[in-house]
Amino acid sequence: MRKISIITLIFSVIASSFAIADEVNVFNARHYKADSELYSKFTNMTGIKVNLINGKSGALEKRIISEGADSSADLYITADAGRCGAMDAKGALQGGLTSAAIKDAVPKSFRTNKWVGIAKRARIIYYSPERVTGAELSGMTYEGLADPKWKGRLVIRKSSNIYNKSLVASLIKNNGKAATAAWAEGVVANMARTPTGNDRAQIMAVAAGEADIAVANTYYLALMLSGKKGAEQQEAAKKVKAFFPNQNDRGTHMNVSCAALVKGAPNKANAVKLVEFLLTPESQEHFTNNTFEFPMIDGVSPSPLVVNNLGLDFKQDMKTKLASYGKNQAAAVEVMTAAGWK
Amino acid sequence: MRINFWYISSFIISLFVIIPILTVFSSFFESTSNYYQVLKDTFLMEYISNSLILLVSVLILTFLIGTGSAYLVSFFNFPFSNFFKWALILSFAVPPYIYAYSLTAFFENYGTAYTILKNLFGEGNYNQSIPKFDGLLGAVLSISFSLYAYVYILARASFLYQSQNIIDLGKNLGFTKFKALYSIILPAARPAIVAGLSLVAMETLAEFGAVDFFSINTLTTGIYNSWIAFDDLAFANRLSFFLLLFIFALFILENLSRKNAKYHFNTKAGFKQKEKIQLLGKKGFLAFSFCFLIFFLSFLFPLSQMMYWTIKFPENLFDLNALDLLINTLYLVTLSSLMLIIFGLISNYGNRVNKNKTLNILSTLSISGYAIPGVILAVAFITFVAWFDNNLVKNLGFVSIKKVFIGSILGLVLVYFVRFYSLAYNGIKSGYEKINISVDESSYLLGYSKRKTFMNIHIPFLRNSLLFVGILVSLEIIRELPITLILRPFNFETFATTAYISASEDLLEAAAVPSLFLILIATFFIIVTSKYILRDNNE
Repeated sequence: MRKISIITLIFSVIASSFAIADEVNVFNARHYKADSELYSKFTNMTGIKVNLINGKSGALEKRIISEGADSSADLYITADAGRCGAMDAKGALQGGLTSAAIKDAVPKSFRTNKWVGIAKRARIIYYSPERVTGAELSGMTYEGLADPKWKGRLVIRKSSNIYNKSLVASLIKNNGKAATAAWAEGVVANMARTPTGNDRAQIMAVAAGEADIAVANTYYLALMLSGKKGAEQQEAAKKVKAFFPNQNDRGTHMNVSCAALVKGAPNKANAVKLVEFLLTPESQEHFTNNTFEFPMIDGVSPSPLVVNNLGLDFKQDMKTKLASYGKNQAAAVEVMTAAGWK
Repeated sequence: MRINFWYISSFIISLFVIIPILTVFSSFFESTSNYYQVLKDTFLMEYISNSLILLVSVLILTFLIGTGSAYLVSFFNFPFSNFFKWALILSFAVPPYIYAYSLTAFFENYGTAYTILKNLFGEGNYNQSIPKFDGLLGAVLSISFSLYAYVYILARASFLYQSQNIIDLGKNLGFTKFKALYSIILPAARPAIVAGLSLVAMETLAEFGAVDFFSINTLTTGIYNSWIAFDDLAFANRLSFFLLLFIFALFILENLSRKNAKYHFNTKAGFKQKEKIQLLGKKGFLAFSFCFLIFFLSFLFPLSQMMYWTIKFPENLFDLNALDLLINTLYLVTLSSLMLIIFGLISNYGNRVNKNKTLNILSTLSISGYAIPGVILAVAFITFVAWFDNNLVKNLGFVSIKKVFIGSILGLVLVYFVRFYSLAYNGIKSGYEKINISVDESSYLLGYSKRKTFMNIHIPFLRNSLLFVGILVSLEIIRELPITLILRPFNFETFATTAYISASEDLLEAAAVPSLFLILIATFFIIVTSKYILRDNNE
């Protein structure tokens, strides 16, 4: 009897690996509750089951690449164009995200035929209105973060963070590697502390008086203001203001959450359907209201919390192709490490 | 030498466990470098120095906390000393990464400490005066408070075996308590303490969750990053090499210290039960305070921080499919511990009846899996399966087997098996050592077959050891992170992965609920098993 049950157990374990159904397999590095709600909606509408494997991007990417042509992955969804670009560079993606629905919805610089942006975010400057004057900020750019006037006043995350890698990659694309290397040294010299903590921790450091300016993504402030992080963080968020850099030239550095089509995807058609679904106005509205990102498509407005506190009419950098973030990533890491950016 | 069932099965089990370990070693000879040499050297120095600082600090701290508290509860009676005796092992229920979340939640700007100060003293900017425990310091504290129990348990066990006679000897020589501790008690317990510290060292070097959370570059996170982010296998291997050097050095140190242990007590003849010294008044209060402080910092603090968050953000409690996670966790735990116990038993018995040198060496090698960080094992496993599939299975015209092993419960359990095999093997071995070989001989004389001896005599004898091994392995698997993260199937989460993923997405509040569940389940396991961990007699 015991033998039989053990054998049954072993077989059920093996058999579970071979189940086939109308489904799409998503390797997911974005873990917002709002996203899983969207996937359920998609299943209800189309009958296509969304299988999720959640994880950190690095481990997911490694698994997709190791499994190679036999990978069960259809879509890889992650929060940074630099990551999708790097996967492309490794040859792990395939073309096919070229339907009219996708092309109409997403501006050209925010997609390739292998991956597309599904929601936008900007990496901006937060400042303390008590300690930073309007004159100091006037005409402020990313390049200006290296200005000695910010000495001991700036906080930003570690260089290992992908948002920073992509920001620096875009600077390399626009200003060249040598200029960016000098810039990185200036930034390191201006840091108020050794980089530590996530984006939200940078904003709170400004609120707490540890620094005067911080670099962080847009949705964090809205998240703190929403009260979802507790009354203390709501209070902290009110002590900082947002500033959109580079308004007088190329515009503010934009990034996306992206969905990439994996090479050898067993359910390619379903994957394309899911991407198209994520770009519909309903899904986009769901993103903006829950994750406080900017919509990828026209005709949907960001969350009121974003509009009222961050402002809406800022110039986005639509010129720098997001594909360059992946291409210049290695150079960005090199530049930051050489500057001693921890 | 007769080749029999026991020999072959022990041989196969050991071989299976060794394969991924060999994969790690063999990859030293590959070269796929595409990364800048200058940067590598910068990183290499940083990884090594961070790992060293982490290791040394954790060892010092766990030594002080672990032996200090074990000394107090073994030699003295003071208020609640019997309670602390087992309460101090509860820290096992809090893995370092959950401790790290608690530290951050409490001390960060506008964190729990800020809220407390605000409620006590009214509005004010307290952030600047609240100390920040992040980075390397945070990691040292998280790991130390979670792992000191290894030192505590082993030191306490060794203190218990010390006869009153040697304490009296010290007294007769006019030693003060401190001198007695320093020149008699500690040296006599040295092998046990070193064994505890080497376990701590191994876990510290392999630590992933807390170190990754504070984004510190150690050898282990370095291997993970260079393998995963940069695809630089050659550099990852170089790091693995340094890591294994560390571990090898630890092995040698531990063995040396065992060999130098000249303090053998004959526990049968002349063993005199210790009389515990009653600590009264100020001294009793000091001893109580020390133990309470450790109990508070290691267990009550993270537990209450996670509870506080669960209550403050109750929506996370309702969003969590706790039942699913519980079933998944228990499923993995049951499957893996059954497998480990069954195969650990077979292999032990195979070694016992065969006394074969090759088999012995193979078994010794196969327990080194515990020293290899889970991250490395998981990646080595994927690498091996992919290689095996691409080069053998497909060439022979079979269907790809990758899906059977990668992203399946089977693969997950197999890698757990490799990682925790040494726990099972050694746990059962220590049980077996207590069964005299003459028992086997009598059994054969009575006409019992090998199988019957094994089933009817050994297994009932070993019942307690098996239970203990099962619980130990279960605790490890409940807390295990990197292997589960990398290898688990679709739509499959455990408490550990849910907590980790929420935390890495800057949703620490949401990580609190699964963390709390994890702590509670682990606490339950520990309480159930505490009487085996804290055996007071020589059984």
